[in-house]
Amino acid sequence: MFKQLSTLFSGLVISICCQAQQTFPQNGAYDERPGRYAFTNANIVVDPKTTIENGTLLIENGLISQVGKQVKLPAGTVVVDLKGKYIYPSLIDLDSDYGMPEAKRDRPAGGRQTPQLESNKKGAFGWNQAIQAENDASLIFTPDAKKAADLRKIGFGTVLVHSHDGIVRGNGALVTLTDEAANKALLNRKASAHFSFSKGTSSQTYPSSTMGVVALLRQNYYDAEWYARTPKAKEANLSLDAFNQIKTLPSFFETGDKYSVLRADKVGDEFGIQYIIKGGGDEYQRINEIKATKATLILPLQFPEAYDVADPWDADVISMAQLKHWELAPGNASQVAKAQIPFAFTSAGMKNKADFWKSIKTAVEYGLPKEKALEALTTLPASLIKAESQIGSLKPGLLANFIITSGDLFGKDNIIYENWIQGKKFILAPINAPDIRGTYSLSINNQPGGKLEITGSPEKPEYKVIVQDSVKITPKAILSNELLTLGYQADKKLPGMTRLTGWLTGTTLSGEGILPTGAAVPWNATLTQKFQQTAAADTNTIIPKETGPILYPFVGFGNEQLPKPETVLIKNATVWTNEQEGILQNADVIVQNGKITKVGKSLAGPSGAKTIDGTGKHLTSGIIDEHSHIALFTINEGGQTSSAEVRMSDVVNPDDVNIYRQLAGGVTASHLLHGSANSIGGQSAMIKLKWGASQSEMVLPDVKTIKFALGENVKQSNWGDVARVRFPQSRMGVEQVYFDHFLRAKDYAKSWKSFNSTSKKVAANAPRRDIELDALAEILDNQRFITCHSYVQSEINMLMHVADSLKFKINTFTHILEGYKLADGMAKRGIGGSTFADWWAYKMEVKEAIPYNAALMYHQGVTVAINSDDAEMARRLNQEAAKTVEYGGVPEEEAWKMVTLNPAKLLHVDNRMGSIKAGKDADLVLWNAHPLSIYARPEFTMVEGAVYFDRKKDEEKQKTMQQEREKLIQKMLNDKAEGKPTQKPQAAQPKMWHCEDIVGVHTEHEGHR
Amino acid sequence: MIHNPFSKTFLFLISLFAATETFAQNPAPALPQSRPVVITGATIHVGNGQVIQNGVIAFDKGLITYLGAAGSNPATANAEMIDAKGKHIFPGIISLNTTVGLQEVASVRATLDFNEVGEINPHVRALVAYNTDSEVIPTLRGNGILVSQAVPQGGVISGSSSVFYSDGWNWEDAVLKKDDGIWLSWPPFLASTFNYEDFSVSVKRNEKRQETIDLIKSTFSEAKGYMEVAEPATVNLRLAAMKPLFAGTANLYIRADYAKDIIEAVKTAREAGIKRVVIVGGDESFKVAAFLKENQVPVVLNPTHRLPGRVDENVYLPYELPGMLHKAGVKVAITYADEWWRTRNLAFMAGTSSGFSDVSPEDALQFVTKNAAEIIGAEREIGTLEKGKHASLIVSQGDILDMRGNSVEMVFVKGGKVNLDDKQKRLYEKYKTKYGK
Repeated sequence: MFKQLSTLFSGLVISICCQAQQTFPQNGAYDERPGRYAFTNANIVVDPKTTIENGTLLIENGLISQVGKQVKLPAGTVVVDLKGKYIYPSLIDLDSDYGMPEAKRDRPAGGRQTPQLESNKKGAFGWNQAIQAENDASLIFTPDAKKAADLRKIGFGTVLVHSHDGIVRGNGALVTLTDEAANKALLNRKASAHFSFSKGTSSQTYPSSTMGVVALLRQNYYDAEWYARTPKAKEANLSLDAFNQIKTLPSFFETGDKYSVLRADKVGDEFGIQYIIKGGGDEYQRINEIKATKATLILPLQFPEAYDVADPWDADVISMAQLKHWELAPGNASQVAKAQIPFAFTSAGMKNKADFWKSIKTAVEYGLPKEKALEALTTLPASLIKAESQIGSLKPGLLANFIITSGDLFGKDNIIYENWIQGKKFILAPINAPDIRGTYSLSINNQPGGKLEITGSPEKPEYKVIVQDSVKITPKAILSNELLTLGYQADKKLPGMTRLTGWLTGTTLSGEGILPTGAAVPWNATLTQKFQQTAAADTNTIIPKETGPILYPFVGFGNEQLPKPETVLIKNATVWTNEQEGILQNADVIVQNGKITKVGKSLAGPSGAKTIDGTGKHLTSGIIDEHSHIALFTINEGGQTSSAEVRMSDVVNPDDVNIYRQLAGGVTASHLLHGSANSIGGQSAMIKLKWGASQSEMVLPDVKTIKFALGENVKQSNWGDVARVRFPQSRMGVEQVYFDHFLRAKDYAKSWKSFNSTSKKVAANAPRRDIELDALAEILDNQRFITCHSYVQSEINMLMHVADSLKFKINTFTHILEGYKLADGMAKRGIGGSTFADWWAYKMEVKEAIPYNAALMYHQGVTVAINSDDAEMARRLNQEAAKTVEYGGVPEEEAWKMVTLNPAKLLHVDNRMGSIKAGKDADLVLWNAHPLSIYARPEFTMVEGAVYFDRKKDEEKQKTMQQEREKLIQKMLNDKAEGKPTQKPQAAQPKMWHCEDIVGVHTEHEGHR
Repeated sequence: MIHNPFSKTFLFLISLFAATETFAQNPAPALPQSRPVVITGATIHVGNGQVIQNGVIAFDKGLITYLGAAGSNPATANAEMIDAKGKHIFPGIISLNTTVGLQEVASVRATLDFNEVGEINPHVRALVAYNTDSEVIPTLRGNGILVSQAVPQGGVISGSSSVFYSDGWNWEDAVLKKDDGIWLSWPPFLASTFNYEDFSVSVKRNEKRQETIDLIKSTFSEAKGYMEVAEPATVNLRLAAMKPLFAGTANLYIRADYAKDIIEAVKTAREAGIKRVVIVGGDESFKVAAFLKENQVPVVLNPTHRLPGRVDENVYLPYELPGMLHKAGVKVAITYADEWWRTRNLAFMAGTSSGFSDVSPEDALQFVTKNAAEIIGAEREIGTLEKGKHASLIVSQGDILDMRGNSVEMVFVKGGKVNLDDKQKRLYEKYKTKYGK
């Protein structure tokens, strides 16, 4: 009702007092007005820390001229008495697409497509379509009356807009939500720079993964730096020009989850830039690490809706993480505030902008101080874009951007009456609406017509017609300017509406009505009892919300308390040392401070040591999976033939339940590889499986490895006819890829060497930093080690020869299913083989794979590992190792080394991992039986002295989870019963990766390598 | 040689012989048993839970004639005597729900024969596509897989399966049970979709399944109607192929994983008058174990060497699942589902189920022998080592369920001694030659 009226009203305003711009001609007589208004007797919230009670705000020409207790009003001031009302600065949203054109994609995302190797954007721009530094929001900004009205309605006055498209999105513009010309709205055309991890509408193949995005962005910073200092650069590049202009502006990075926040900050750190980061609302799950970034956050206000869990089997779809996030997400801002992390709110991403205040008030109910909430909507966003002198508070000289409210902005029944922008009034609700609430006796055609009950608030009255003493009917009602219209069906059994229209005179409503028969009759309603306000809940008290604990990681099986290194004496076990001592019977092992301190017989435990009886059990060092793709958000950067620049450490996912599952199979460390989509893959990451720890606590930075690949995947044999574009398409081409890249890397390394050796280094003469060639140069310098995905002997032989001729080393061939054919050549060069126990027959290049491969390589002196490349097989690598005994007769002790010591050697961590020896990391597993037996299972798995998996605790965990789950489900059922919106159960599970999974594209037979 | 059949020299000679004589081909199938065989001294795992230490087993003309403890006295006239002291004898392992013989190299379309065009294909038969010359098959029997059920896939009704021995000249020769059942894929209760934006998989209620369920129901009722006409004016191949379902001579195998699917599917089949119903997949069968027991519906499980179906599920649930069903009184078999080469590891999945649940290895053995035989209705021929049944058995160095014991030294199919050579062993020998060993 109000909406229609206010639209009509504001339309009228436009035609009367639209102020033209100085340079613009005027159609009709000029209409310049001073806009001098004084708002008196108001509670003026100047900023979150300052409130003037009973004060006056004076504005003139769109600016605030004075604010205070005593303000002298100049002659000609229009005075508005706001007794009892409040004035707040109008709100600011820093993540808006208001007035921006919709970003459209040339072709749909996903599926198998012909690669587009070059940018579709013609002109002298950069090479990658997702780097749009030249995109200037001020040039594409066009005001949108409808969207402006929607934002004004919830109290916004100014928004920072940018084109939400691409990785580098260009600069943002600061605009007000006035309905006047863009020339007036535009406050600052270059207020900010914008970034994201999404390539948006770019149809270019590269980057196809998150780590590719990171690499592209990093390279772009380096290129821009080089471009700026190289006047004689051989290319004109508008994108780099623009990038250099915007990179010093306040920089905003849009992300969608906690780990992306951390990833964005890490990129910023490299270039001395502190991004302001838009998060996903799950920051509370990793609050300490988020705080350590020192970033200011932009927080969303869309909280998850409850799931409809009425059907228990349907409800099974929903994970613990989803249930718990539903419960805890509304408390996110409160947790962020408590951690003293500065943040602003945004309405971006809200399904329905009208829910904005509901969400804010929920956040306050969950413990967010109101002052913080106000700060997050006013002063803080203003300061982030260095616009404190224009917006965000009510100080003289600032824009007259403010809202008038009925009470405390965060109060339950608060109403925003008016939103003033640049001195112009926008009415949202009548400021002095007559209070017609009460109980009336209704008379129609001079006959008693029941009762009319009007409740609700004066601004939003609610109506009920009561007939036959107790039947309550909700009529259709419109009230405006003291005119009331009512329509209702008086008798349920008789169809037809009774329609009344009338006006208020004193306390009586009267007028004319039309009965369903068509007869016009008089009616009136006489007030019999004035509305009595039922005691409203005190909106200032915060209802403590009882919520469950935060888990690390925030998923099922997560820890309430992170496991800590313990002092342990394991007694009387069969100890597989992997050292010269071999397998010790009835031996003891002492663990202290995360290390193995003693191995021997009849050891006495240090004081405070926990004693574990190992009688009849086997103690081994933890399994190391040399080839794994667990705990990763993405796996393949297949956009180019070489992606040496990408780092798997950028996409480690500590929340992957497979970490816990592998611990349950005795695995303590995994080497996370890039996929096999291209000849030169990305830089691998090795992690310790510290379930619940942070990314940085898990990753071993000293392990510097890189994935290479040969064969059918890199030549795209099984990708269908659309993939016939990228070089190479044959094994012949693969060889040349290596020659080409390594020759360039050699030159690159040489140019840096000569630059570094000059005595007077001039920065401007430094070679262009290239992070792809950096990685290859490290290989040439023996600083980074290759793990190469390989199958058939011809290509294995080829790469060994390429390496020989260019003088670099191949560290490990992985898969290496035909390694048995070239085991002598591998042994001679000291190349290791990390293979499957018995896989074959899934594609042509594995036709001659044999289960005796590991044994044949082993007998030739190759360091052999058995790996998984599969989250399932990884949790029974002990069984896979046992197969090397079955096929080819590897001694059991040596077979066991293939999943422990040998991968440690191949990863150059055997100085600290892979065997049970004093001084090494206490990564240990206690098995209930011979570890190579099918009947063996871990009693516990320990990483650096802390027990991350324990068979008994696992059973307890399952029970606790069940209880917590049921508690949350009951809570959701209550929500549903209260009529709150619910959504259908739906689980979002991260994909399980194998090395052939191209991001979004899989090979013909998903699940096979 | 016969008296010491397990010497390394002997095995080496056999392989050498194979390498020179039958290079690049599978060895010739076993010839029919020509004279009685008596194996003594081994631990005999009968397959019904019974274990005979130091036992004697005799067979003639392809059938088991005697089984007992040492010192007992089977007729040994003219018999080949085999001393298997310290060895273990097991019934041949039965691998259900496979694409063995229908699939050679996964990425090469020309070698794939398990999927037909169309939704309702009860008339297409795995029988005639089964390739006894697959190079995969010899690698299976080398691990004791003596019987494989070849199963069509795709569509709603995929076709009919047949059960084969892992040894034979052609499908006609290798087949143990023709057209043992028809395969139906129940539309899943939950549907998952891949999100290209964040590469996640979302799982939610499948809103499009009712149409398929209605199609299944009408197909069943029309097939039943068709059956009642002795000589239909027009032959309908599809409907005719479904006759054995109503006659109770073939199984209806229903692929269903979710609890609700299982209940719906079983009820639908029973209401349609189908007598022998088997649930295949059964990831959530533990939720409806009582229902399955009550309705006497056996379950052919998906590979249990898999991850839990849901993030919050007990990490060991797949390993424990066969044991859970077994304890609940449901007849259960373990399989590798649509896999082919991997089925050689079938016994290890049974071993894992024993290691991770309260099931003895002898009970776990039944998940891949006795139960499987009963499910396909071949319990009179295979599944256990009992008098009168086929002499289809394996002699292993140790426990067949454990890699530490699984070393198959001798295989008999219907009494015929099978050549255990395969392509992989030949390559092994070839490269041992290269390295001078």
